[in-house]
Amino acid sequence: MRISRNWLKKEFFASIKDEDFPSAESLSVSLTFYAFEIDSVEGDILDVKVTPNRGHDCLSHRGIAREVSAIDEIPLQSDPFRESISLEPKTDALKITVENSQLCPRFAAAYITGVKVGASPEWLRTALESIGQKSINNVVDATNYVMFNIGQPLHAFDASKLKMKNEKWKIVVRNAKAKEKMIGLDDKEYMLSEFILVITDGNTGEAVSIAGIKGGKPTGIDEATTAIVLEAANWDGVTIRRASQALKLHTDASDRFQQVISPELASYGLKAAVDLIVQVAGGEVAGFVDEYPVPQERKIVSVSLKKINSVLGTNLTKSDIADTFKRLDLPYQCNEMTSHCMFTVTVPFKRLDLVIPEDLIEEVARIVGYDKIPATELPAFPNRPGINANFYAAEQKRQELVTKGYSEVFTSVFAEKGERMVANKVDGVRPYLRANLTDGLESALEKNTRNKDLLQLYKVKLFEIGTVWKDGKEMTMLGSADEGGIQEAPLEIQEATPLGYEDLPISKTERYQPFSRYPFIVRDIAMWIPAETKQEDVLEVIRKAAGELLTRSEKFDEFKKGEKTSLAFRLVFQSFEKTLTDEEANAVMEKVYAAVKEKGWEVR
Amino acid sequence: MKPGSIHPISSLIREANRIFFDMGFTLVDGPLIESEWYNFDALNVPKDHPARDMQDTFFIKDEPGMVLRTHTSPVQIRYMESQMKKGILPPYRVIVPGKVFRNEATDMTHEAEFFQIEGLAVGEDISLANLKGTVEKFFTELFSDKGKSSAEMDRELGVLTRFRPSFFPFTEPSVEVDMQLNGADAPEKLRGKWVEMMGAGMVHPSVLKNAGVDPEKYRGFAFGIGLDRLALLRWGIDDVRLMHSADLRFINQF
Repeated sequence: MRISRNWLKKEFFASIKDEDFPSAESLSVSLTFYAFEIDSVEGDILDVKVTPNRGHDCLSHRGIAREVSAIDEIPLQSDPFRESISLEPKTDALKITVENSQLCPRFAAAYITGVKVGASPEWLRTALESIGQKSINNVVDATNYVMFNIGQPLHAFDASKLKMKNEKWKIVVRNAKAKEKMIGLDDKEYMLSEFILVITDGNTGEAVSIAGIKGGKPTGIDEATTAIVLEAANWDGVTIRRASQALKLHTDASDRFQQVISPELASYGLKAAVDLIVQVAGGEVAGFVDEYPVPQERKIVSVSLKKINSVLGTNLTKSDIADTFKRLDLPYQCNEMTSHCMFTVTVPFKRLDLVIPEDLIEEVARIVGYDKIPATELPAFPNRPGINANFYAAEQKRQELVTKGYSEVFTSVFAEKGERMVANKVDGVRPYLRANLTDGLESALEKNTRNKDLLQLYKVKLFEIGTVWKDGKEMTMLGSADEGGIQEAPLEIQEATPLGYEDLPISKTERYQPFSRYPFIVRDIAMWIPAETKQEDVLEVIRKAAGELLTRSEKFDEFKKGEKTSLAFRLVFQSFEKTLTDEEANAVMEKVYAAVKEKGWEVR
Repeated sequence: MKPGSIHPISSLIREANRIFFDMGFTLVDGPLIESEWYNFDALNVPKDHPARDMQDTFFIKDEPGMVLRTHTSPVQIRYMESQMKKGILPPYRVIVPGKVFRNEATDMTHEAEFFQIEGLAVGEDISLANLKGTVEKFFTELFSDKGKSSAEMDRELGVLTRFRPSFFPFTEPSVEVDMQLNGADAPEKLRGKWVEMMGAGMVHPSVLKNAGVDPEKYRGFAFGIGLDRLALLRWGIDDVRLMHSADLRFINQF
């Protein structure tokens, strides 16, 4: 989520001087080591990667402000959740019916009259634009601001576009009918299914909003709107997630509801949005309704000092733990009468992630700082580790084949044909799971044979130990490929388990050398040299004359005749920048011939 | 005759197995086509939960509930479950090297099929500090020159690790582990820089419970390292796609 430093400061740390408040860079460091990864920092905007366990409370500036306050030990100056909220006065103009309160634990709404829809004030427009949101109008912007500020999505309906019957509006929350349609605020028509929840106008039966995801066009706010019904509801996360996936419609609202947010948040969100709308668009609240049959229970989680230290491997004190909970604003009691010093935390309603003692241990670990965790070696293991028969067999075969000049390759398990296939491959190509290693080895052999000169190999020999899916089974095969053909058979496992692994060699290579992806050109050169001339000296002369295009140089023939020796070399030319032409190779060869002749050696 | 080369990933697995074997870890393996239960549910990743989005999954056609495993972690459950069935109680220490899959477009740093090595230690007194000690020891052994005495090694290679907060459904607390190499033996490109190496944490009590291990009595740590990435760092390889290229211009350098 995009978080603005200025927004954080203005809303939650207003009386701190700007120069005393951490810079965006400094916030990025604090959050990285004590809370969340930061994807980017651009000017005053941090892109915070809120983890799925904290989607409940941290997809908002308030959530991040809480973290900053705990990490950097700057008290939160205003916290909207400190006060208790009452949704008063009530109104009779709106009647809410929720068919299944499991899927909609709370539905609160306000009826506001006399608003004047228009452009947002400068500060509001700038704030939303700073985090990449488009300003729509003062009413819609106010609801969005509240969502990004404290995390509760809201939706405003134009009251005049809902049907009144007996001086009452009726709002019904129900499951959509099969193939029921609704045109969204984005002008797209959505075809709904029965598992998707909709908010409907009970007096017409029409869907006016896809619950928790997108409002409907026909009841949207426009410049003529003067009375609004403002909704702040709470939805079942799984239902919203499934609906959002089925409709391929992901919104800021659905992102929050699918992570599950507290139903308690609805009243805070509604109150804050009402206040802001009255501030920026005028009007007054005619009244509230609140359908909230089963209030959220307050959770209590306990953990002992002893358990914290034994899980973390630390020697934290009682006051270290107390300090963490204080900084995070987690109300706790410490019962010192028990021998373990038990901390009992009353979990704030937003922190739906705090359920088991380990959750509290994580809070302690990250706020105290992971740098305070010592590195302690494991105690000696009481038993001798076992030997894995499959791995042992594979290792034996690897060694045997490498000794015989075979090199190990891995080819893809995805294939053009096979017995089983994947249903959803993103790139769509080769969706089958291979039924043999042979096809992969065949193309690998062909490809590498073309590079034989470059590889300085007379024969290309390959092997692969890999999984195939054949005859309804998953099995490990050993395949090998050389000029004699390609063979494969199930990897044989020894009956008797060996006592230990053998000490087989590991790669001694220090650095990988990138190779040119361009084609190469081969030229041979043969010459007579005096018998006493050293072959290395000849190669040196050739290499120097050929320059950097010479990639490989190898002697491939040698014979003696009287006082003279005939040497033949194979030279491979290749460029890192382009495909070499014959002319370019010839030009290099001319230089080589000249250098050889200058030494008095006779080119054959 | 000129010997061939083993694949750099095989070399890394061989070396990792040697280091972990000496710390009491047994190498175990498991199937690549896995049930959603082992790959997700048993690891505390419930259906229809946003955490499932963290890994793009290949589903097997016409085999509902079956996937190409997205990590080596299902073998944690399989191993603990089979030990409990045999009546063998913790302590357990296992590593699981193997191929895993993510349904994503490939580029120089992403492959749809790649290798991981999983580590799991379960006992009555395993701590997060043990995780730190274990990964530090692993990296020190892996990056140090075997021909040197330990005193020389300390002078020429300093391995630092650090934890950052993270989230995985199967661990609590969860951390990302960064590594920094210093000293003359550290590869130049890596020297003095923090690099992200793995996700890790203390095994979530629900994971132990799902495998039949009593979470009141036992706890453990688990980690997962991307071997392809480790190979890229270790040898300065510039393109992860080389791993499955079957190209001897690459393989024969090892």
